[in-house]
Amino acid sequence: MEIVKRPHVENFIEWSKDKPEVVVLTADLTNSSEVGKWRDTYPDRFFPMKMAEQNMMSFAAGLAREGYTPFIHTFAVFIYRRPYDQLAMSIAYPKLPVRFVAFLPGIATPGGVTHQAIEDVAIMRATPNMTVLETGDATEVESVLDVAHSVDGPVYIRMLRGEVPRLFPKAEPMRLDEVRVLSEGDDVTVLTAGITTEEAVRAAAPLAAAGVGMKHLHVSTHKPFGDPVVLDAILGARHGVITLENHTIIGGLGSAVAELMAENAIGKKLVRLGLQDTYAHGASQAYLMKEYGLDAPALVRAVEKLTGRATGITEPDLDAVRIEAVHSLAKAEAL
Amino acid sequence: MANKKTVDLVEEKAALMRRDVIEMGYAAGGRGAHFGPALSSIEIVAGLFFGIMNHDPKNPTMADRDRFVQSKGHACLAYYAALTETGYITREQMYTFKGDNSFLAGHPTRNMKYGIEVTSGSLGNGFAVACGMAKAAKIKSDDHKVYCLVGDGECNEGIIWEAAMNAAKYELDNLIAIVDRNGVQLAGTTKDIMDVDIEALWRAAGWDVVVVEGGNDASSVLEALQGMRDSSSGKPHVIIANTTKGKGISFMEGSLGWHARPMPQEFYEQAVAELENA
Repeated sequence: MEIVKRPHVENFIEWSKDKPEVVVLTADLTNSSEVGKWRDTYPDRFFPMKMAEQNMMSFAAGLAREGYTPFIHTFAVFIYRRPYDQLAMSIAYPKLPVRFVAFLPGIATPGGVTHQAIEDVAIMRATPNMTVLETGDATEVESVLDVAHSVDGPVYIRMLRGEVPRLFPKAEPMRLDEVRVLSEGDDVTVLTAGITTEEAVRAAAPLAAAGVGMKHLHVSTHKPFGDPVVLDAILGARHGVITLENHTIIGGLGSAVAELMAENAIGKKLVRLGLQDTYAHGASQAYLMKEYGLDAPALVRAVEKLTGRATGITEPDLDAVRIEAVHSLAKAEAL
Repeated sequence: MANKKTVDLVEEKAALMRRDVIEMGYAAGGRGAHFGPALSSIEIVAGLFFGIMNHDPKNPTMADRDRFVQSKGHACLAYYAALTETGYITREQMYTFKGDNSFLAGHPTRNMKYGIEVTSGSLGNGFAVACGMAKAAKIKSDDHKVYCLVGDGECNEGIIWEAAMNAAKYELDNLIAIVDRNGVQLAGTTKDIMDVDIEALWRAAGWDVVVVEGGNDASSVLEALQGMRDSSSGKPHVIIANTTKGKGISFMEGSLGWHARPMPQEFYEQAVAELENA
């Protein structure tokens, strides 16, 4: 398993080369948003907006109105919480092509509740005209730019930074509203997004060895949410469906799946793993994923409960198949 | 000094626009309208549309047009009146104000076909959008100006000062803000609500500041606008125009109650009589 160091940095510079309409705005989080080198490469297209996010949103709208495509880079919480009114009224309502590159999704930061974007997917999904994407690996970090750029309207991107694993081949880029099928099976269907995908991948082999068939779908587009593969996978799940998300269980992936099941009159059990309507706290990603039941062991326990079958899989079993020995444990990045 | 012909034209149009404001507001019936903040800004808006801005009602998306952003969106009646008198919209369309299916909502909704540049009404946002538009013009070395009408109550909003500091940093001298200082906001006088020296604040933020005592005097307003338009000091410009809330209608002038409300028939008749005898 390849671990890619800061995949966004060089990729974004290269990608922007022949796109003079692309400009970058940050709110005092330049290196933290991995655009320090971008700034040095394209100083004329880089606008530091100080710690003033409300103005950054509406200012970006003004640039977009005049033909530019602003890529706002900052932490997710400073995009959808603090300046939501400006985001909604200046950008989303007029459907302007502003791209929100939102770092530190969910509990991917030890920074504590002020920096943990745990309800962003819910709010962005509820925002009309907004497309909502989430990157799950280095390939998606690299290819999400093309996906976002193809959208006529605002796009919110849950972005990964720092050391990012490559789970998907480079030749298989992210595609709008297309899930990836990572394992086949007809006992349970598991849907994951972002950093939780790695957890389900860890559980896949032990579950298969224990005779449990898991169909695992990786979701990178939260909205729109219309890939027919999802519905087929839900219909094909004998015991039910599990969602595992780095987000509160209200309004995110679990809710999207619940809506889909209800609208299609699918009477199956749905288990939503994620933050159970609670804020988290500051700690390492691995610690928090364990504490809040977002990790591979939590998924295995949920599968056992749903299928009524003990698998005998233990935590050391899952550690043994950790796809990169230190990766998940070594993520305790500073802000 | 502003050209006399232009002053006369702006005065003539301002009178027509005041009547339009009353007509639209009355037509809105029980839905009511923001009379006071529209009437205070009439000379500013008329001055821009009839004396200052390069624009063409037949070609609302003309690339080199000057941009007008009415950040104090609740005063949309003044804007709609200007769009009517310049010919962006018809009189028939004007009378649809606040109606079902009308594109003339209680706050401006972007509609480039009819010359409405920016959605506004969430106070402060329009100003920051205008700053972004001015920056875009700078990047592209375009010569057009961006004019933005801001309320004095609106200056309570934090985003105004975020944007103001930022505009000065970017040296947006193609940006001209006009603060309609009518002294009354929704819940009280601006003095009671937040008694601050906004001139000092704008200066501290790095702007060229000029105060116009006669904010409802076409000649004074035009002179200030021309001065700011023709200045390239490297600083963004703000005109603080001292105006009268509800200007032109005796029972609305300086009135808190006529900030926004429905207009019963007897008041309509009195208002029309006053305008016709003015």
